[in-house]
Amino acid sequence: MKYKTVQEQRSRYHSGPFSWKAGVLFLCSGIGLIYYFRYEKARMERKRIAEATKGVGKPKVGGPFELIDQHRKPFSSEDMKGKYALVYFGFSHCPDICPEELDKMARMIDLVRASAPASAPALLPIFITCDPARDTPAVLASYLSEFHPDFIGLTGTWEQIKQVCKKYRVYFSTPDGVKPGQDYLVDHSIYFYLMDPDGDFVEAIGRQHSPEQAAAIIKAHMGDWKK
Amino acid sequence: MGAGASKPAPKISSDGTPIAPDRTQRSQCWEARDIYYGCLDKHDILDSIAEKDKAARVCAAEGRAFEANCAESWVTYFKKRRIAEYKKNKTLEKLKVEGAQDLR
Ligand SMILES: [Cu+2]
Repeated sequence: MKYKTVQEQRSRYHSGPFSWKAGVLFLCSGIGLIYYFRYEKARMERKRIAEATKGVGKPKVGGPFELIDQHRKPFSSEDMKGKYALVYFGFSHCPDICPEELDKMARMIDLVRASAPASAPALLPIFITCDPARDTPAVLASYLSEFHPDFIGLTGTWEQIKQVCKKYRVYFSTPDGVKPGQDYLVDHSIYFYLMDPDGDFVEAIGRQHSPEQAAAIIKAHMGDWKK
Repeated sequence: MGAGASKPAPKISSDGTPIAPDRTQRSQCWEARDIYYGCLDKHDILDSIAEKDKAARVCAAEGRAFEANCAESWVTYFKKRRIAEYKKNKTLEKLKVEGAQDLR
């Protein structure tokens, strides 16, 4: 088909209630809207999870604490402010769960850091011992160095650890006054606690999540952060 | 338990506290555990605590190696975990079969 003028050609495509341009635009915006709604829905869902713990008064999980790290330096909940933190409770004499989970945590941290935008808040990997009698800073230092150089290992007195476990809703069964050479196991939580830059609990990541899935969850929450 | 097993003394940290088993020691323990499990499987023993005498008879060498490479608390933990894992898998299988029947 041949057109006499450019004008005519244009008008042909422009005419009608459903011109091709409008059609393409309609289709694009339609698809765009579907994605936008999906994105919004996912964002709102994350927000709901994140906000569920904010509410009035004290956060339900987490809270202030003062402990020492594996280099004997004081480390408190204040050091977590302005950063995301992935908190895990365990003990170095753990037979199998902790080492598996700490390897996963190292992988998560690397995955998130590799693809997080420069503007994103930092993500701290924190290991809090449930076994302060045996997990001294020196013990934590050698234990954690096998997992990730950036891991922050926290310990304290039996009473301090008991309190922080209580705040994070971690069942604490460690007996008081055990000797360092004693051979025993302790209970601990199997969740990673994702804490936001306000120090509020965001979401618990469990054993069912692969490091890739966990990293995706963390990155999604970090992407929502506006402050 | 643990009699005759000569466990290597744990390494001592810079502040004098014994260090937990490191990655190498852990995998040595897990390996010895799996060999012991393999022996139990071969002799149809699920609960090596309840069937202690039989286990000691048929898996003597494997049991000694297991105890030599793992802390006593770990040995007990793994023996119990073996039973728990078995029960969990049985339940899952049962649920799967029931689920399949529901679909029919
Ligand atoms: Cu553990």
